[in-house]
Amino acid sequence: MKNIFFAYACVSFCMLSCISNPPEEKEPYQRWVGDISFDEKTDDPDFQLCYEEKYIRQYFNFSKGVQYKGEKPAIIRHFKENYKPVQSDQSGLLRIRFIVNCKGETDRFRLMGMNDEYQPMKFDSEISNQLLALTKKMEGWLPVEMDQMDNMTLDYYQYLIFKIHNGEIIEIMP
Amino acid sequence: MKFCLTIIFVTFASLSFAQPNCNYFLHIGDSLKYKACKETENAKGHYQFSKEYQIVMDNTIDIDSTYSYAYRSKSVAYLKSGDFLEWKRLIDLAVKYDPIGNLGYRASCRHQFFKDYGGAIVDIEALSKMTNEDIGHSANGVYHLEVVRALCYSNLGRKQKAIDIIENQLAIEDYMVGIYDYIHLGVLYLELEEFEKAKAYFEKQVEYNDLAENHFYLARALKAQDKIDEAKMELEKTSSLFQKGYVLHDLYVYPDDKIYWSMIEEEKKALD
Repeated sequence: MKNIFFAYACVSFCMLSCISNPPEEKEPYQRWVGDISFDEKTDDPDFQLCYEEKYIRQYFNFSKGVQYKGEKPAIIRHFKENYKPVQSDQSGLLRIRFIVNCKGETDRFRLMGMNDEYQPMKFDSEISNQLLALTKKMEGWLPVEMDQMDNMTLDYYQYLIFKIHNGEIIEIMP
Repeated sequence: MKFCLTIIFVTFASLSFAQPNCNYFLHIGDSLKYKACKETENAKGHYQFSKEYQIVMDNTIDIDSTYSYAYRSKSVAYLKSGDFLEWKRLIDLAVKYDPIGNLGYRASCRHQFFKDYGGAIVDIEALSKMTNEDIGHSANGVYHLEVVRALCYSNLGRKQKAIDIIENQLAIEDYMVGIYDYIHLGVLYLELEEFEKAKAYFEKQVEYNDLAENHFYLARALKAQDKIDEAKMELEKTSSLFQKGYVLHDLYVYPDDKIYWSMIEEEKKALD
């Protein structure tokens, strides 16, 4: 009798445990996919958005493409002249995403890496730190202007993706 | 002409990823997909990046985890924000559940957004083996997938193969020439120093959809043939069209063979 009671108690406990576990929550989405919240550990507290967080757009929202002074040749030149190739067997893509405010200033840089099989990969810090530092030094970002509102300038998300082969940059996107 | 072509291509691109007709699933007796399809209608009016849109697609997947449209719809925001990891996870699921409907799309995104030329070629060639129908166009509708394949081979250094692919495509009866096809083909011939063929295609492009790039690369071909005065005239046309905004354009990326103002200035200096 004691054993039956014990077995019943165990089953009941398990069932209650199952019930008390809430169903798996859906991914807690932010306002928009890829939104970057301020992180006091990594971000510059002096960097100011011109408008509220909810008004940050994407770089392509106004059909003008990437807004950088001198366009792609200037971006390539910046990295070609300053990046020091690293002796490494690492290849893949490294994305650096950040915010450009309405004055063309940048901050909230975030890194993501993958190998050639689209699997997450952490690049050697010699590669990633160098690319991050050089991206932070870029000074040609132009505010996105919205024609419909007297060319008002906006805050927006931008990214650069570096295609790396054995520690060297072979292409830069977008 | 350019405007008309743009409308045609944009319309095609939109249609190629249009909301499916849910009644089709009823017609074929798939009530689960019908229910999932109806759920996606709740995304109407929500921006693809928004949590509201993503949640509708999650609900759709909860109804039918094999509904490829929902995975592809979710993947778009990740693609456009450069999140290759989540994009690939989602688009792979779309391909898994509907390879013919999504392989070409995945291929063109690999080329356009991530310069994954090898991956794009594998996808397009796999798609070609699966169907006897026309394999269709790129995600943005600008290129036939065979031209995307050619651009990928070109970027991998296989110029002659790229030429062969585009020439074969152009030779197909009823093929609707893409708005940039002749430019890319001309550039390929220019790179192989076949200047007369290059010039012929730039001239065709002038008639079809005149852009600054035509005249810029035509100037380079003329310069290589030591026809400096003619090259200078072409560069003047290049500047004029460039300033009017008649250039190769892509909303999201710097496209293949696009020219920039600094390139025009350097070319002018070289000719002086």
